[in-house]
Formats: sequence, C-alpha cells, structure tokens
Amino acid sequence: MNIRKDQKQLSRILGAVLVGLVAAFVIIGIFYTPYDPNEMNSALKNAAPTFSHPFGTDNFGRDILSRVMTGAKTTFFVAITTIIIGGGIGTFIGALTGYYGGLLDEVLMRINDGLTSFPSILLALIFVSVVGAGKYNVILALGIIFVPSFARVIRSEFIQYKEMDFVKNAKLMGAGDFRIMFVHILPNTRPILLSSLTIGFNNAVLAEAGMSYLQLGVQPPDASLGRMLSEAQSFLFNAPWYALAPGFMIVVTVLGFSLINES
Amino acid sequence: MQEKEDILVKVEGLTLGFPVRKEKNTVIDGISFSLKQGEILGLVGESGSGKTMTALAIAGLLPEAAKVFEGKIIFSSKNLFNLKQQELRQLKGREISMIFQEPMTSLNPVMTIGFQIEEMLLLHERGLSPEKRKTKIYAALEEAGLKDVKELYYKYPHQLSGGMRQRVMIAMAMICKPRLLIADEPTTALDVTIQAQILKLLKKLQKEHNTAILLISHDLGVIRHICSRALVMKNGKIEEQGLVEEIFFSPRTSYTKELIEAVPVIDKEMGGINVSSVSLKNSNSEKVILSVKDLEVRYEEKAKGFLKEKSYKQVVNRVSLHLLEGESLGIVGESGSGKTTLAKAVLGLIDNWKGDIKLVEKSPRMVFQDPYQSLNPSKKVGWILEEPLKLSGSGYRKEERQNKVDNILTRIGLNVSYKDRYLSQLSGGQRQRIAIGVALIQNSKFIVLDEPVSALDVTVQAQILNLLKELREEYKLSYLFISHDLKVIHKMCDRVCVMYQGEIVEEASVSELFTEPSHEYSKKLLEAVL
Repeated sequence: MNIRKDQKQLSRILGAVLVGLVAAFVIIGIFYTPYDPNEMNSALKNAAPTFSHPFGTDNFGRDILSRVMTGAKTTFFVAITTIIIGGGIGTFIGALTGYYGGLLDEVLMRINDGLTSFPSILLALIFVSVVGAGKYNVILALGIIFVPSFARVIRSEFIQYKEMDFVKNAKLMGAGDFRIMFVHILPNTRPILLSSLTIGFNNAVLAEAGMSYLQLGVQPPDASLGRMLSEAQSFLFNAPWYALAPGFMIVVTVLGFSLINES
Repeated sequence: MQEKEDILVKVEGLTLGFPVRKEKNTVIDGISFSLKQGEILGLVGESGSGKTMTALAIAGLLPEAAKVFEGKIIFSSKNLFNLKQQELRQLKGREISMIFQEPMTSLNPVMTIGFQIEEMLLLHERGLSPEKRKTKIYAALEEAGLKDVKELYYKYPHQLSGGMRQRVMIAMAMICKPRLLIADEPTTALDVTIQAQILKLLKKLQKEHNTAILLISHDLGVIRHICSRALVMKNGKIEEQGLVEEIFFSPRTSYTKELIEAVPVIDKEMGGINVSSVSLKNSNSEKVILSVKDLEVRYEEKAKGFLKEKSYKQVVNRVSLHLLEGESLGIVGESGSGKTTLAKAVLGLIDNWKGDIKLVEKSPRMVFQDPYQSLNPSKKVGWILEEPLKLSGSGYRKEERQNKVDNILTRIGLNVSYKDRYLSQLSGGQRQRIAIGVALIQNSKFIVLDEPVSALDVTVQAQILNLLKELREEYKLSYLFISHDLKVIHKMCDRVCVMYQGEIVEEASVSELFTEPSHEYSKKLLEAVL
C-alpha cells in the first residue's frame, strides 16, 4: 500500500514537471522567440542543430526552435479553446439530461449517440471540408466533437447525485432547478470533470496535430506542431531534427497531462 | 481441568492496526478474553471500538492492510496466527463460521441459493453424493426456519426478503455444524419483528448443536436478549467483561454506564408519560397545523411483457392523520410500511398523490436519516447553513445571515469555527446536528424527522434526541417523527400512528399504545422490542 502511494506521488510530480516545462516553453514563446519563426534564411536551409539554432532549421531556413515554440502555443490554444467549448456545452447538456431525464434526456442522448457513432477525425474532416480549413474552424469542429463524451460523463454524475437527500432538501427549501444543478450538484463533480478536461486536452492536442498534418488545420506560414510534422515528412532522412522537435513536444505534453490525470 | 477443556477460543493480548509508514494506527489494543464451548458471548461497542476487527481476526478475514502487532488467538489449542493457509482454510466454514450484517451484499447475486450453500459441502464434506447434498441443504434451510425449501433451492437472492436472506446465511453457516459461529450485527439491518425471530433462531441452534456464538452488536437490547456473557469495547480496549446481568445492573466503568443510560427505556409502570410532553400538553393550542385526509400514493410497476395492463403498487393507502401545534406525532412502522413516502407527500416532494393535505406552515423542513447523504459534500458547513437563508428570499443581508449562522451553530452545540470545515472532517453525530441546524435556521415551526438517529451510535443518539427535545420546547416546534424504533418514539412523541403496509392500523397517545395496544400488529411490535 505504501508503494502505491509513492508511485502516485511520483507520477504526479513527473507529470507536473513535464507540463511545467511545456508551459514554460509556450509562455516564453508568447513574448520571445530566438528568431522570428517565419523569417527565412536560405543560406541555412536544413541545417543541423547548432548553438545558434538549437533545434536546427527547416527547409526554408526558419529556426525550428522558434517555430516549435509558436507551434506549441498554437496547439495549446486550439486544445484549450476546444475543451472549453466542448466541455462547456457538454457539461451543460449533461447536467440538463441527467437532472431532468425524460423526453429531453432521450432526445439529446440520441443526438449524442449519433455524434459518437462517427469516427471523430472523419467528422472533423467533413466539417472542415465544408466550412474550410483554418485554426478557428478546427476549434469549432473539434469542440463539437468533444461534446458527447463530456455530456455522457456529467450526465451519469448528475443521475447519481440528483437522488441524494441533500438535493431533496434543497428542493424543499425552495431552490430552483438551475441553482440546484449548477450551485449544488456541479461542484461535486469536480474531480471527474477535471479528469475529463485533462483527457480532453490530450485528445485535442493529438487531434489538432492530426488535422494540421493533413493540411486541414493551421495554414502556412503559421506554425503548429502538426503542420511541422507534415512538412518534416519529406526531410525525415536528411534532416530528422525537423520532425523530432515537434514530435517530442507533443509526446511530452500528452505524457505530462496523462500522468497528472492518473495520479 | 474441566474448565480448561471447555474453552473454545482464547484471545490473548491481541493488538493490531493498519500501519501506514510510521503511523501504527492501532485499532485493537491488547485485548484478552475467552469463549467457552456452546456459550453465547456478546461483544458490544460503538463504531470505531474494534469489535468488527476482532471478529474478522478470529475468522481469519482481516483485510490485507491490517497487521497483527502482538498476541495470539488460540482455537482448540492451536494459535490461528501460526497456522498455514491450508490448515486455516480447513477450519473456516467447518469449525469457524461467520454471518454478516448486510443480507443484501453477503449472498452472491448471480448464484442460486442452493448452489451457494452447496459450496460449503463441496469444500468441507467431499464424500457426499449430489442427492445427499441436496437433502442436507433442504434440512439446513428448514432448520433455519424457511419454508418451501425445494423451490427456494433454485431461487436467487434478490427474490428473497432481508429476513429470509439472513436465514439462508445462517443455514449456510450452520450446515457443517461449526463449533463457533461469529455473528457480526446479524439483525441490525432487519425490521424489529424479524430481528426477534432471527435471535430466537440463533438461540435454538446454539442449544441443539452446542455451537458457541460470538455475537457482535451495538444494540444493548440484542446482547441482553440472548447472551450469557458480554464484553464492552471502546477504542480498541475492553472496558468491561462479565455476565450480562451484572453488566446491565451494576456496570463498573463509566463508559458502560453511559452506554446503558443512553438507551431509552420504556417504563411501562409510568404509562410512558415523560415530563416534557406533559408540560407541553398544558401549553398546547388546539390549532391543527397539519391535516391529512385519505392520502393515497401509488407507484406504477414496470409493465411485464407486452400487455398494456399497468399494475400499481399501493404504497400509502387512505391515510388520515392530524397534527396539533406544538405536538410531536410519531409514525412507527417497519420497512415497506410507507412512512417515508407519507412524509415526502406531506412535504410536497412527490407529485403523484391523491387526497387532501393541508399544511399551515409555509416552509416545512426535514431532517433525513443518513447524515452522510443529506448534506452537500462539496460545500463548507457555513455555506450549508447559509443556503436556506439565501433561498428564503427574506432579503437578509450578508451580515445578518452570518449572525444567524453563528447563532444556530452555538445552539446546536458546535463551535463557531465549524463554519469553515468540510463535512468529510465531521462525525455522523456532528453532521446530524448540522442537518438539524439547517432545518431550524429559518424559524420553521414544523419539522419532519425521518429516522434522524437510526444511523448513529447509541451514545450519540441520546445526545441528538436530547437536543431535539430541548429545541422543541424552546422554539415551540411541532414534529412529525418517523422511526422504526419504538423506544425512540416513546421518548420523543406525544401521540403515535402505527403504519403497516401503507395503512395506519392504530393511532393512540404514547401512553395508551405502550400499555394497551389494540391492534395485532402493534402488539407484535411491542413484543419485539428488546
């Protein structure tokens, strides 16, 4: 039993460290990058990592480190807004359906099921091909796709809590439904909610990387980790650092959050 | 020499706990006692006393996290802690058997009754043929007082009532005629009338098979009913041990005295008149604050199959009652009697009822049974107490609200600093006090109490009931007091309605009911009170 507790502590600390590193990267990147990420330098195309370019340069001579910093910033931005939209709407729907049940529950849950039955990336692709590519469209697409999982999780929490005596007491004392849902019940779901948000963040990072890789997300010349991966494909053998840097970022971020989540 | 042979189990200096890194977390601290062949020994204690752990230690069922620091448990001259797994397993079931408190969870829900009992025989009496096993199982079930055993054999636990399940457990435990039966709160989850029957059964089995029984309970009445000797445990130590009669009539330690005094006693000679209700009767107004006429509540049962016929279950069947201002009306009944549903209907918490309910009080309040579910676990105590004020829309300003919260905290016996605590840091008794505070903070005059003390330890029960009594006198409250425990009703109520299967079978003043009950069921209830 002692070992397990220590393991948990270790995971939590390791995860926090990883996330901290990535966060530092991103925050610094907002204010300062060693080079302008879009500045091209033809003389230094595909240069290997050196002191002045710690991550090397890409095929346009742009500094990879700077691009990774801004790329990570973009990816994070997309991921965070996605879970805010998906989590926000999902929680709201979950609360309503869980609390009220009945016809509302049935209808909304069927729509939910419908959304879930499509492979999410496919849905995102379809969405984006209709409204066009770009950062904000990706956020919208992913946000909608993330709604069902949040809704389902929050709904089952609400179903459990609404029968409890303290809810009955609140009704007795005259609390309105919305107050009960969001002031009385919701705070009890905090642990599960945080967990879902963390998982959602990870999935969003991966989804964004995937979408950008397919040229559907962030458009050039903006950087995003996924974009960089796709651009790096052709140079995998002569300039592997091009792919390694963003790939590494993605792995570290996802790993970090997963570790924190599990502990 | 004879005496030494009589001793079946000897516990010597047992000390165990749940060590976490450096903390020992001792749960049982150096206890020693012995149990003779064929003796019924009672183990009394409140929650946290270590009684269940003692039972589990003897049965060899301690959780993994538990560590025995010192001591021995000697069962027929073998130290149980020195035995190997194989040897222990031979003892378990055949010589030492156990029955647990919750009949809902102690039987495997996906196995038939017969199959589960057969396990015992398959493990311990291998030489039997299938027919012989069946015969034995039928016999065991019949001995446990069950009927139609041949059909019962193929039934599943969910098809049986709590009392029946407990009998099945007893049959299972007794089928190999063990020398020791450990019973951990075997009747606590059962209705009072069933409780009496189960205890009778245990006594019968002891007589017929000379089985020693270690009976664990927090209920002194239960212990007194069938045990010859008893141990009183507190905080992992034995406070007192001796003959049951000695303990009850001349307790030696102050804790034991406290335990005994905490149990409400029905003094039949005085006709059940307690002083406070007399004084309240004098100041009673004749004003009816609650009137219920022909209340009916029924639940739709799920339609079986395609037939459109809906079947209903009548939970409350034409119930009429009234409550006068300042009165405390008791509703007593066993599970399934409809008493909680009646309360909910009166408070407007359920929609589908028929009949007539008139309630003068505009904001009635309720104190629920389970102090662990009736308050919001994610909020601080201060918030919980303040919320009703915010909801009442009486326009109290923040300062006024804070004042009221402080006042009520003091009144219910808690320090004002409790405002900042979370519920997880509080005990059941403290939580129930807060629940009472919530009910009172808005100056409501009518309070429904649904088994408010059933989930609490005996000494805490007494404190809470006394608090309720004081508050009633001070604020001139009217109570609708629901309980299955006649002793509590006797202590707290002026009049009482007895409910059985959705109907009120008798209504009388407390003194009348306890001295001259008229309905059959009331008599049965009274007899079952230990």
